[in-house]
Amino acid sequence: MNLAATGMAAAVAIGLMTALIAALLPARPALIGTGTALTGAAAVAAGAAALAGGSFSVVLPDVLPLSGVSLTLDPLGALFVAVTGGVAVAAGIYSVSYADTADLRARGVQTALPVFVVAMVLVPAAANVGTLLVCWELMALASLVLVVAEHRRGPRVASAGRWYAVMTHLGFVSVLIGLMVFVAQAPDDSFTALREAGRQLSPAVAGVVFVLTLAGFASKAGIVPLHAWLPRAHPEAPSHVSALMSAAMVNLGVYGVVRVGVDLLGGGPAWWWLLVLALGAVSAVYGILQAAMSSDLKRLLGLSTTENMGLVLIGVGAAGLFASSGDHALAALALTAALLHLVGHAAFKTVLFLAAGSVLHATGTRDLDALGGLRPVMPVTTAAFGVGALAASALPPGTAFVSEWLLLQALIHGLPAGGVAAAIAMPVAVAAVALTAGLAVATFVKAFGVGFLAKPRSDAVVDAHESPLTMLAGMGVAAVVCVVLALWPAGILPAVQAAAGGVAVSGDVILRLDQVTGALSPLLLALGLVAAVVVVAGVVRTAAVRRVRRTARLWDCGGGPMSARMEYTATSFAEPLQRVFDDVVQPELDVDVSHHQESRYLVQAVEYRRKVPDRIERRLYQPVLRLIAAWGRAGRGLAPGSVHRYLGYGFYAVCGVLILLAVTR
Amino acid sequence: MYVQLLDLACGALLLTAVLVLWRRELVVIIRVFALQGAALAVLVGVLAAHENSAELWAVALGVFVLRAGVLPYLLRRALAGAGESRREASPLVNVSASLLAAAALTLLAYAVSQPLVALAPSAATQAIPVGVTVVLIGFFVLVTRRRALSQLVGFLLMDNGITAVGFLTTTSVGLVVELGVSLDVLLAVLVLQVLTTRMRETFGDTDLDELRELRD
Repeated sequence: MNLAATGMAAAVAIGLMTALIAALLPARPALIGTGTALTGAAAVAAGAAALAGGSFSVVLPDVLPLSGVSLTLDPLGALFVAVTGGVAVAAGIYSVSYADTADLRARGVQTALPVFVVAMVLVPAAANVGTLLVCWELMALASLVLVVAEHRRGPRVASAGRWYAVMTHLGFVSVLIGLMVFVAQAPDDSFTALREAGRQLSPAVAGVVFVLTLAGFASKAGIVPLHAWLPRAHPEAPSHVSALMSAAMVNLGVYGVVRVGVDLLGGGPAWWWLLVLALGAVSAVYGILQAAMSSDLKRLLGLSTTENMGLVLIGVGAAGLFASSGDHALAALALTAALLHLVGHAAFKTVLFLAAGSVLHATGTRDLDALGGLRPVMPVTTAAFGVGALAASALPPGTAFVSEWLLLQALIHGLPAGGVAAAIAMPVAVAAVALTAGLAVATFVKAFGVGFLAKPRSDAVVDAHESPLTMLAGMGVAAVVCVVLALWPAGILPAVQAAAGGVAVSGDVILRLDQVTGALSPLLLALGLVAAVVVVAGVVRTAAVRRVRRTARLWDCGGGPMSARMEYTATSFAEPLQRVFDDVVQPELDVDVSHHQESRYLVQAVEYRRKVPDRIERRLYQPVLRLIAAWGRAGRGLAPGSVHRYLGYGFYAVCGVLILLAVTR
Repeated sequence: MYVQLLDLACGALLLTAVLVLWRRELVVIIRVFALQGAALAVLVGVLAAHENSAELWAVALGVFVLRAGVLPYLLRRALAGAGESRREASPLVNVSASLLAAAALTLLAYAVSQPLVALAPSAATQAIPVGVTVVLIGFFVLVTRRRALSQLVGFLLMDNGITAVGFLTTTSVGLVVELGVSLDVLLAVLVLQVLTTRMRETFGDTDLDELRELRD
């Protein structure tokens, strides 16, 4: 038994043991949190060992009826196992104090947490369709329990739970049908057999399999237009669960696309990957645009997940496109960029959600317009959120910067590679990535600046306090990983390239692209930035020292001392963006001006309400929901309450079947 | 002799089922039902004589006691407790239409049972359509009668039909199985009787359409 196998066995054993303890003994969040963190640590060890070359596989035919359990850790799966484990470590440590509330101490919730982690660790390790689907469903059910954990907080939680339950199961059905069609063409349901069969599949069947599985996996990844559950479920879930869902679970959607599309079906025609690319681009832009408009901190983060998964899918789509036109070096580069972005996203989204949870824990609100002024009272949380926001902003020295730079390099150099389709798709994708990066900066400046800096906007913030030590430790772990990834991505690049199945980037301090010209050193860039800031600060300081220092009140236009009501709010910060993208987001504005009784020329109060509805949701989901509601109402007509009618249904059904039998036989 | 007795018993079974549809007074319906129970017992007895099986004789006796004795007695007691108009008020489908429907159901039963009969043609299996007809007529009574009591009769009619088909197909259902089924039926009748009484106490009537308000 090598380290990978030991790690996997330890992860599953510790996770299930923790779940058992949670189910049988009275609630002990400290124990459960520690167990979850240990599960994650074992998964990280297993993933790292497998990425270093110690892959393993095990077949347990008796555990599941019919197909049996079959597990394999190849580099691609191992990367996802390691990422999931890493998120679980941070979330587990964090939950020790965070989950110590009445709602979260409930036995079912405490049990679901380790089960959720174990299921997520097993999904990328599954080596046959049966195991994959069972773990996938287990993951969906456990996360559903966790999403509705705080259902006493209000009806929104229940609504989020319903959306999540319906969409995740529709996605599951789609994946199920797709994989069943695939398995029908193969001797058995193991991935080895499917890999063989995938090469001989007719284009039509392969296309059906790919589109069905893509729909299912994309809904899990929160890709537009199947994203509707994500901005609902992520804010309403407890924050450590949000972190697990947003940083680990959505990744598995990408895993599914890569596993089925690239690995099992062996690539495919260009249109598959153009579809993936288009979905990714639309998700990235639309997700970040909605996030920029949002003034709910956790909803903003959830929508940013859609954006980042979109960016990852752009990379995956580009990789598939390059591979279909035979340019495997660029394909490796694009897939490396996508997977690196995925790892970075897992790190910074963990920090951000955990920090948001810390804010929620301290103030009881997620509304950015009611926050502000948290820096003096919650310095560590503020610092952690700052690190996460910088990492998410695609600016140097940030985590997302490196991966988006690699992605852009792949897209730009892809121009001559792939014919007409690529010649049109690549510049559009480059524009989408650039626009997304710009909007992401605005979004996270808003989240950080409005949420944490300036003066407090409500009493909730004034009474805030820094979170307990374990919560800070959970955030700290993830924040350190963020910084390391930002400054020394070379540390993880070998692992990512092993998963991507091709070496495209080399170098330690300076990253050099192997096939195309391009080099970047995040560390030197960061040092340069620091040096520049120091120099500028020094110059300003020396220039200022020469003058005589004078203390005076800040200029406030004569309006009296500046109050919190004069600050930028999240809504006002997003207003210019909202104007620019007016046609896209179509906000609903409502301005009420009331005048003084004495004079119509004096304004007494101005009331401004803005709502940014999800257009895609309105266009796409409302008609379907209306149809289902109409169907339900029609169904009510069948049930008027008459016992005779109900008995009659049975009678007519029996007679109908008998007549059918008599006629057709 | 065996075949003629068998056919006679089956004929009585079918005739009583149709009579239940035809007559509207509940007292008469219960009497007819008791008659049908006796016919069923005779059917089992004929089979027992043919198979020369003591077990089957015991079953026949049990069937007679339950279906011609205990169940009609229970029904009659429920009716006496009712003290309401003894006549079946008005079925949802009038008598002549009911009889036509019964004819159609008989045809259907014959058409459907052909493959069953063809599996193992014998005097007993030839009579299977009669059992199926009784089941269908019982279901029809269940659907079209208003009073809880006459619906109960419909339910018991169905059960008689099922028992008849069971004996005709396998000859020996087995004492234990038949005992279980009979106990089941007895229990169902007792429960339904209690329900009927409670309904009458609550709503003053046992017209099931009054329950319409209870939904949602």
